[in-house]
Amino acid sequence: MTPQPDIDTTRKAFQADLAVVETEEGLQTVRDRYLSRKRGAIAALMKSMADADPVDRPALGKEANALKQEIEQAITEKREAITASTHPIGGIDVTLPGRELSFGRRHPLTLIREQVVSLFEAMGFEILQGPQGEDDYHNFEALNMPVDHPARDMQDTFYLEGSMPASDPSEPPATLLRTHTSGMQIRYMESHEPPVRIIAPGLVYRRDTPDLTHSPMFMQVEGLLVGEGITMADLKGTLVSFLRAFFDADTRVEFRPSFFPYTEPSAEVFISCVFCDGHGCAVCKETGWLEILGCGMVHPAVFEAVGYDPERYTGWAFGLGIDRVALLKYRVEDIRLFYSNDLRLLEQFPQ
Amino acid sequence: MRGFEVGAIEPWPATKDGTEDAVLDLEITTNRPDCLSVLGIAREVGTMYNTEISMPELASSDDFHGEAPLSITIDDPDWCPRYVGALADVEVGTSPQWLKTRLEAADVRPVNNVVDVTNYVMLEIGHPMHAFDHARLAGPEIRVRRAAHGERIRTLDGVERTLTPETLTIADAERPQAVAGVMGSATSEINDGTRTVVLEAAYFNPISVRRTSKRLSLTTDASYRFERGTDVSAPVTAIARALQLLTAIGAGQTRGPVVDCYPAPPDPIVVQLRHRRIGKLLGQNIEASFVRPTLARLGFTTEPEASTTDPVWRVTVPSFRVDVHREEDLIEELARHHGYDSLPATFPELTRPAPAPGTWRARDAAVRQLLTGCGFFEAITHGFIEIDAALAFHADQTDIVALSNPLSEKGAVLRPSLLPGLFDSLVHNRRRERQDIRLFEIGSRFRQRDGESPTLALVMTGAAVPPHWSENNRRTDFFDVTGVITRLCAGFGGTATFSPDTADALVPGRTARIGMMLGSKTHALGLVGQLDPTLATRRGLPGGDDVYVAEIDLRTLSLDVHKGFRAAPIPRHPSVTRDLSIEIDDALPAAQVRDTIRQAAGQSLINIREVARYQGAGVSAGAVSLSVRLTFRATEHTLTDVEVRTSTDRVVSALERAYHAKLR
Repeated sequence: MTPQPDIDTTRKAFQADLAVVETEEGLQTVRDRYLSRKRGAIAALMKSMADADPVDRPALGKEANALKQEIEQAITEKREAITASTHPIGGIDVTLPGRELSFGRRHPLTLIREQVVSLFEAMGFEILQGPQGEDDYHNFEALNMPVDHPARDMQDTFYLEGSMPASDPSEPPATLLRTHTSGMQIRYMESHEPPVRIIAPGLVYRRDTPDLTHSPMFMQVEGLLVGEGITMADLKGTLVSFLRAFFDADTRVEFRPSFFPYTEPSAEVFISCVFCDGHGCAVCKETGWLEILGCGMVHPAVFEAVGYDPERYTGWAFGLGIDRVALLKYRVEDIRLFYSNDLRLLEQFPQ
Repeated sequence: MRGFEVGAIEPWPATKDGTEDAVLDLEITTNRPDCLSVLGIAREVGTMYNTEISMPELASSDDFHGEAPLSITIDDPDWCPRYVGALADVEVGTSPQWLKTRLEAADVRPVNNVVDVTNYVMLEIGHPMHAFDHARLAGPEIRVRRAAHGERIRTLDGVERTLTPETLTIADAERPQAVAGVMGSATSEINDGTRTVVLEAAYFNPISVRRTSKRLSLTTDASYRFERGTDVSAPVTAIARALQLLTAIGAGQTRGPVVDCYPAPPDPIVVQLRHRRIGKLLGQNIEASFVRPTLARLGFTTEPEASTTDPVWRVTVPSFRVDVHREEDLIEELARHHGYDSLPATFPELTRPAPAPGTWRARDAAVRQLLTGCGFFEAITHGFIEIDAALAFHADQTDIVALSNPLSEKGAVLRPSLLPGLFDSLVHNRRRERQDIRLFEIGSRFRQRDGESPTLALVMTGAAVPPHWSENNRRTDFFDVTGVITRLCAGFGGTATFSPDTADALVPGRTARIGMMLGSKTHALGLVGQLDPTLATRRGLPGGDDVYVAEIDLRTLSLDVHKGFRAAPIPRHPSVTRDLSIEIDDALPAAQVRDTIRQAAGQSLINIREVARYQGAGVSAGAVSLSVRLTFRATEHTLTDVEVRTSTDRVVSALERAYHAKLR
């Protein structure tokens, strides 16, 4: 059976009408002409089917419905096209700056401290925080630095006028500003039995005249590990892996003998210069090496001070200057910049 | 070099004479005074290269005969256990060039042949010496005694000093001629006319010398060595070497025997060294065959103890090794010379899990996250500040903790608040072309009454939001800073409240006490407000911008809220909002109005928000037109219009009753 000429004629007439429509109103006229329930061409077509051969009626009905849907869709599309052309969304200069949200950053010393601390945290270290005001016993005496010990000159100390009450009333009042965070280690050992695995970051004070590499206040992190069978080789293994994780997997690490009153044997740890990769430059004074931390096996006198049996337990401790590491890692030239809080520095650090 | 950092290698001073020698500048740690000498370093080098060191051949004290030319008395053997003296007839002049050059290489200025010899001996064997002009002493008598109260001495540096009994002196029959171990007297100084000298080589108690040196603020090459500990066995050697040198350079001749006053020589220190312990401490086995020769080169004598499978030695410590007292000290000697390079790198076994981190850690991290998200940069400022800054922010002087030895007035007291330092940082940036500044700091503040407490402070000034070309830039005001505090409290699970207060450094009427509602409790957090503009200008702020600040006691913030926290179900019924506009007394605090509304509205009121405040045309003087948006919801059903209207009617009549408010 061939399609009824009326359907084809209607389709062609609709397409011709639609093609010339340009406005919303014109479209409505065309819509009424074909889809109006009473006067529309489709309605007329449906009516005319009553006269058709009953055998052809279902097919004709289907054709007429298809045409109706076709017309509806074409009108919808035309309407969207007309709307888009009559109400265009204007273009804008997409290169103008966007609205920024306020955004601050953490201090670079916080960033370094967090990196250091999390590396040790992953090795099972507990993180401690303690007071900056300390008493002489916890800062010096318990660390094998009795009064009149020349080693106290290595840590020129700020003393308080009189004293300041300790936050814990059972503790002696503070009489000085801590020169290292070791006092925390003493407190911890006084109240905990081995094994001990702690790391204590914090601000410390030494009476140094400020210059490019010295600040009377600086940030330090100290670690302490005590147990049975703990050796200096363990110290070396731990620190080497820490330094390589922190700086670079290729960093060369060297342990050299040194002296601290609270460790025996003591060592200073050097890394291959991060500026010249060990070839020699002004920063490493042409040596190719940079001193990075001090460490050693805990002195038995320290164990005795906290009531640990030095025959049974051995342990090691280290201290690292966060500022020094930050100077090296971020290539900042003057330690004092960290405490001037100049936004031109602070805003540079990725978070 | 085996524990002595090489500071520099410098050319020998007199390169003209063709020598290729160099000066090795070593950093000697405080525990090794024996290495403040050529002899000490030679011992180390001899151990490094496993070779014998050669000593000059010296006459022993037995070789000097005759009647003692000098009487020596030690009144205080604790402070001076040994005093050795000798007399020499001298012809004072300049030293030979080789001697002067060697002194110059060690940065010691040549003076005359007698003084040069005493300095040379100190540099060579490490024992300080002194020479007195015999003719200037009141007779051939040396008395080591404490100074009498008020006794005076003019030391070689020309300073007239008044002494106390805490000072040990070397006196003749009448007066002190030297501050023991520190400096001699100008009176008995060697000069061109000196004919006879008394040479001194003594051992002084390190603590006594250290205290005296500190008390007099006088450090000399001698005091530096004495306070670290010299070799109690060395004085006779020192005298003998000095006499030998004086003779050798034609500067003098011994007169009579050496006098050695040494009332109670101590026994040498003997330390047990177990081979097993070496491995236990180092994690590396050092061969027994390495132990004895190494210790011997360093001057220790070792004797094997009871022969077991594992060797044990009795080690006698030489008197010059004042740093060695126990087994660990010997193990360090061995490790040092065996080399740390050969130590293996191992890992300590983890025998128990790390305890949970302290709550401060999560707290500080959350504060940093919240505040950087509000546009604040983290600052770190000094713990000490100037007294004026401290008092401006915390006027109670009796609560200030001062330093007894500050570096300068700029850091004379511990900060009683973080704000002065943080404000200085704001000024620093404001003076460097920055106008929009937000800083915070987490740190300790120090007060005489509270002690040290963890504190958070923040300062802000400039634009309220980052400037943009599309809009007018609003300046930061009070409600920006309270908005930040509100967010901070929300981060810790609480609701911020603000009530009027006053505080040092803050503008009255623009200062509030911060509270944080957490469940049924309100915690006192701290203070917030506008910084007094006069103070801001006085402390260096240019431009006169408003500065808003807050300081919070960090101990009041805690993420412990996580512990009991349970999520509430999502509401199943819609909420209804109603806006009310009322005219009300403008002096009435919003918090009070809110309380009245809350009480009147009943349980279904879940939120109140002020949406507009207007004063001016159409509003009576002294009043404000206030629009509040009330949100209602019931948990079990959808609220009807009637229910909501009943609530709002109650609110309106309550406001009318309490404050004569008028519905607009």
